[in-house]
Amino acid sequence: MDLISSWMGNIPEFAVPFALAALGLIITEKSGVLALGAEGLMLVGAVAGIGAYLTFEHTALALIMAMIAASVVSLLFALMVLVMRMNQVISGLVLVFFCQGLTTLTGTLMGWTNQPVPGLETIAFWPLSELPYLGRFFIQNPVVYLVPVIFLVSVWALNRTTPGLRMRAVGENPQAADAAGIPVLSYRLAAIVIGAALIGLAGAFIAVLSTKLWISNMTAGRGWIAVALVIFARWSPWKALAGAILFGCIEALIPQLAASGIKLSQYFVFMAPYAITLGVMIWVAASKRDSNSQPGALGTPFIREERT
Amino acid sequence: MSDFALQRPLTKRRYTLEVRQQMAWHWQALILAGSMILGLLISGTILVVAGVPAGELLNEFVILTLFDSQSLTSVLFQASPLIMVGLAGCLAFRAKFWNLGLEGQMIFGAIGATAITMWDIGAPSMRLPLMIAAAMACGLLWAVAPVLLRLKLQVNEIVSTLMLNYIAINVLLHLMYGAWKDPKDAFPYSPKYESFELLPELGNGLSLSIPIAIGIALLVLWFVNISRAGLYLRFVDKSPKVASAVGVPVAKTILMAVLFSGALAGLAGLMVAAGQEGRLTHSFYVGYGFSGILIAFLARNNPIAATCAALLIATLFVAGRSLQVFYQIPFAMVQLIQAVLVICVASSDFFIRHRIRRVQGGD
Repeated sequence: MDLISSWMGNIPEFAVPFALAALGLIITEKSGVLALGAEGLMLVGAVAGIGAYLTFEHTALALIMAMIAASVVSLLFALMVLVMRMNQVISGLVLVFFCQGLTTLTGTLMGWTNQPVPGLETIAFWPLSELPYLGRFFIQNPVVYLVPVIFLVSVWALNRTTPGLRMRAVGENPQAADAAGIPVLSYRLAAIVIGAALIGLAGAFIAVLSTKLWISNMTAGRGWIAVALVIFARWSPWKALAGAILFGCIEALIPQLAASGIKLSQYFVFMAPYAITLGVMIWVAASKRDSNSQPGALGTPFIREERT
Repeated sequence: MSDFALQRPLTKRRYTLEVRQQMAWHWQALILAGSMILGLLISGTILVVAGVPAGELLNEFVILTLFDSQSLTSVLFQASPLIMVGLAGCLAFRAKFWNLGLEGQMIFGAIGATAITMWDIGAPSMRLPLMIAAAMACGLLWAVAPVLLRLKLQVNEIVSTLMLNYIAINVLLHLMYGAWKDPKDAFPYSPKYESFELLPELGNGLSLSIPIAIGIALLVLWFVNISRAGLYLRFVDKSPKVASAVGVPVAKTILMAVLFSGALAGLAGLMVAAGQEGRLTHSFYVGYGFSGILIAFLARNNPIAATCAALLIATLFVAGRSLQVFYQIPFAMVQLIQAVLVICVASSDFFIRHRIRRVQGGD
């Protein structure tokens, strides 16, 4: 019982980074830009969050700085895919590589490694926090409560506002959108920058609020898992949120397993999230659900002069 | 006409991008060289910001690395595994398969070779060939799952190969901190290989891995340019639909190219383990996977160009190690510089393919 209770308490901490990163990816990809750079932008968010906290000693400010930093770095990605029309897969990989180098270098040279930060005080969501077993799920730091709000606003913006609908039109059929007078590249730029801010927040959440310290390459593939999450959520934000909670449940189980004293090599436990991601991808592919919800123009650069 | 254009405020002038049909080769070379120089200047600036004295840069990077015979040998030595991963990248990308699992295949190659040494399989004279075979087989096997999943179920290979990398890393750590750890060593390393299990030196400090790398590069060149499978591969690269319509065995061609790619990555693992380190270590693979992908991209999947690009990246690796030793700059600097170079070269591609022209007159 104690085990279930503490497991419940840990789930949001693991689920939130996946949820935010997946939402950021969905926003970018709805505009037709294949965003593989999530891992790198999360690393930027993580190092910027910790760096900003150690400099200014203000957690909310650190989170905002992390979002800004990720957005600024994403401009480089925008330059590659929108202006230089580079292959979007390669651009995403180069961005990850660039960010891994940049963050390790900055964090190490600035001496930010292993410097503990306090994070944020938890708030109990009364009366749900009094529930048996589930109660701990509702005693979280304030950012966790912000996540459903961010999702609601994003879904509303994507489905109900003119800019959101235009952005989706750009992702489905940029030629038609261009003919209708929508500035394709501006919308894609906005989608990349907004998506990057959310992904950066996901990285900062891991560093500033969850682990509460920074080490190099600390996201350890979570950005890639978020990419997989978007594929099996079929670009639907709510399904991505559900998937993120599912993954949060699995990741939160890992420290519990270690604590309960089950004899299993820790490295096999560490590889579980990746193996499960792979398993879920195979399961989704084998069950062949509605496979046409992918944005129509995903991964293809928009080149007006080559319009056919 | 031009007067008219001049009278218009700057913001009202329109510029368009035009796609060039072709460009003289010497202009192409000039733009490429210019972008490389720009990339190196940016990298130099980053190094100076990171604390390397500006005066030492030229000395450290160019003179000591390229004009010192010992360093030159180590560059060649370093290049051989990079050539392998670069060629592995070329092969898979020619089949339109994003094999990002080079790292995992490399790890399993090295694990396979080390298994032969740990379990003392075969006579000493046969040991090295067995290790090479095991490395290639294990690398190949680690590539089987993602390619079959992609061909049968359309599972996205970018994610599946990356996930398999993380799984391979954890298997390696499990072995290095557990069953295969050298009891005589405090570090997570396997026991040292016997002398007959190392890639032999050919004198002058040149290792056997260099001729092997050149041989394999020629083999890959034959494979993609001359063999029937290479011809099929070009069909698949251009258009899988048309290829299958004219009777090219698309699935088999992709399968073959990707498995070949996995085997080469496995061989790269052996070259690092049996060539450089002389044992299996917990972090020998760091930097190779992404480097292979970037080399293939820089070389536009051409085996000869990949070999040259691998030499360039090897220089960076060697210089990066000495920076690590002398200036305590993390090895991640090499990653950063590689990424900067790739971005600059890719941008040169943009200027080769496009021209910016001012549209005169009406809007």
